[in-house]
Amino acid sequence: MIRVEGLTKAFGKKREVNAVSDVSFIAPDGEITGLLGPNGAGKTTLLRMLSTLVTPDSGTAKIGNLDILRDRFAVREHIGVLSDARGLYLRLTARENIRYYGALHGLSGAALDARVDALIETLGLTPLANRRTQGFSQGERMKVAIARALVHDPSTIMLDEPTNGLDIMSVRALRDQLRALRSAGRCLLFSSHVMQEVAALCDRIVILSAGKVIAHGTAQELLSWSGGATLEDAFVTLLGSGEGLAA
Amino acid sequence: MTARRIFAIARKEIVDSARDRRTLLVALLTAVAAGPIFLILIFNLIARQADSARELKLPAIGLSNAPALEAFLVRNQVTLSEAPADYEAKIRAGEINVVLVVDADFAKDVAEGRQGRVRLVSDRSRDRAQPSIRQAESLLRAYNRLWGGQRLLLRGISPAVGDPLAIEDFDLATPQQSGAIVLFLVAFYALLGSVMGGMAVSLDTTAGERERQSLEPLLMTPARPIELAVGKWIAVSVFNLLVVSVMLCGFYLTLAYAPLPAVGIPFLFSEREVGRFLTVLLPVALMIPAILLYVGTRARTYKEAQANVSVLMFVVSLAPVVQLFLQQREPPWLVLVPVSGQYTLLRQALRGEAIGVVQLGLSYVVPAVLIVLALGGVARLLSRESILSGK
Repeated sequence: MIRVEGLTKAFGKKREVNAVSDVSFIAPDGEITGLLGPNGAGKTTLLRMLSTLVTPDSGTAKIGNLDILRDRFAVREHIGVLSDARGLYLRLTARENIRYYGALHGLSGAALDARVDALIETLGLTPLANRRTQGFSQGERMKVAIARALVHDPSTIMLDEPTNGLDIMSVRALRDQLRALRSAGRCLLFSSHVMQEVAALCDRIVILSAGKVIAHGTAQELLSWSGGATLEDAFVTLLGSGEGLAA
Repeated sequence: MTARRIFAIARKEIVDSARDRRTLLVALLTAVAAGPIFLILIFNLIARQADSARELKLPAIGLSNAPALEAFLVRNQVTLSEAPADYEAKIRAGEINVVLVVDADFAKDVAEGRQGRVRLVSDRSRDRAQPSIRQAESLLRAYNRLWGGQRLLLRGISPAVGDPLAIEDFDLATPQQSGAIVLFLVAFYALLGSVMGGMAVSLDTTAGERERQSLEPLLMTPARPIELAVGKWIAVSVFNLLVVSVMLCGFYLTLAYAPLPAVGIPFLFSEREVGRFLTVLLPVALMIPAILLYVGTRARTYKEAQANVSVLMFVVSLAPVVQLFLQQREPPWLVLVPVSGQYTLLRQALRGEAIGVVQLGLSYVVPAVLIVLALGGVARLLSRESILSGK
C-alpha cells in the first residue's frame, strides 16, 4: 500500500519550478494504480520521491508502514522500481545483471539462484539469460530491467513508463505479468502518458497535470464525474485538453 | 555497512571491467612494455656515450704543424684523421663531434717563443658530443701541462712550481648511485603506473555509470552510498595494483634477462627491490583510485571526468620532474607529501639503501587520510539529489 500525503517538490534556484505540488492519493495492495499525465506532469519526480531518491519539500508518503523520509533504506528493501533511467551493465549477461541486484538486496546462494531462475523463466528470458546484454533489443533490455527490479520480490512495485519503446507483443506480455503480480497481492503503481495503456490495465487512475492531481478514482468513477461517454472523453474533459495524451 | 554487500559490489565491478578487453589490454601492454623499452633505450645511450669517450675520433686540420702533439695524441689512443673541408657544417649536422684545428703558424710561433694556437671546434648544444669534447679538451690540457713541465725541468725548476694544486678526483658515489637518469626513469614509470592503472576503470564505474543511466536504479537499492564507494574503490585498486605489479615484473625481468649492454652500473633491481617498490607504492596505488572515483563522480559526463583527470595526471607526473631538476637535497618532511614522498623513497630503494620503518609509516599517513576523505566525498555526492539531474 502506498499512501501519499501532500507531496510537494519544486526545483530551480528559487524553487520556481513546481514539479509536484500537494499530491495525495492511495494505491492499495492487490491493485494496479495508474499514474496518468502528459509529459512534464511530474510523474517521474513523484516516483523518485516515492523511491526515496528525491526528498520532498513538504508532505510525506508511506510504503506499507514505512515512511519515505524516516525509513529511507528500509523503504528501498520493500520497493521494486523500474525507473526512468534503466541502463543495464552491457558487459554483464542478463543473469549477472539480475543477480547483482539480488546481491545488493542481501540475497545470496541458493535462494538468489532460485529467485533469478524463476524470474528468467517467467519473463521469457531463458534463451538470452547467459548472453551479454550488449546486443539486446529494447524489449529484451526492458525485460532484464524489470527482472532486476523484482529480484527481491518487493511488496510494492513502481514502474515509470514501462511500455515505452516496446512492441505490441512485449506490451501484452508485460500486462500479463503485471496482472499476475496484482493477483499475488502486490501493490503496483504504473505511470504512463498513454491513456490506452492505463485504461487497459489499471484498477484506479490518478490523473496528474502540471504537478497536481486533477482526478483520482476508478475508471467508472472518472466516467461518471466527467459525464463523457468514453474514457478518452473523460480525460480530455478532466485535463481541459487532449494534448500530450496520444500514444 | 555490510562486508558482504561491499564484496558483491567490488566483484561486479571487477568482472564488468575485466570484460572491457581493449581498455584492460592497453593498460597492461603499456605497463609491460614501459620497462623493457625504456631500460634498453637508456642503457644503449649510456653505452654509446661511454664508447665514444673511450675511443676518441678526432678529425684534425694542420696537424703536420705540430708533430709532437700528433705523437702525444696517438700515444693516447686517439684515432686521428684528416678533417673534411666542410667540417663546420658536419658538426652542426651532428655527423662529427669535435674537430682539432692547428694554426698554420704553430711551429713558427713556438720556435719564436710565442704560444702555439690550436682550436677545438664543436657544438656544445648536442648532448651526444659532450663526452668527446670533454675528452679532447682534457687531452690538450694534459699535453699542455706535460710540455710546460718539461720546459721548467730544462730550466732546473720543479714542474710543481707552475702547478701548485694537485687535484685528486675522489668520487663518493657507489656504482649504484651513478646513472641518475635511469634511477629517475624507473621510479617515475613505477609511479606513473600506479596512477594510470585504475584510470579507465574508475571513470567507467562513476561517470560511465551515470552516462549509461545505470546509476539511478543502483541508488534505489538498499546499498548504502558508502558501500558503493568502498566497493568500487576496492575494484579499481585491484586493477591499479595489477598494473603496478606487471610493470615491476617488466623491470625486473628486463634487468635480469635482457641482453643489456654492460655500462658499469651494477643496477640494483632484485626481488628485494621489487618488494620495496611495492611497499612504497602501495599507499599511492590505493590513494589514486579513491581520488579518481571522486573526480569521476563529481563530473557530469565521461568527457568532463577525463578532462579533470588529465589535470590530476599532470600534477602527479610533474612532482618527480620538479624534484629531478631542483637537484637539491630533499627536506625530511617531503616524505609526507604523496607522490613526491614515494618518489624519494623509490630512488632510495634503487640506490640500494634500506627504507626506515618510520619513513615508510610517515609516507602512508597522508594517503590514508585522503582515501578516507575521497571515499566519504564519493558517498556524499551519491546521496545528493543533483547526482540524478544534469545528464
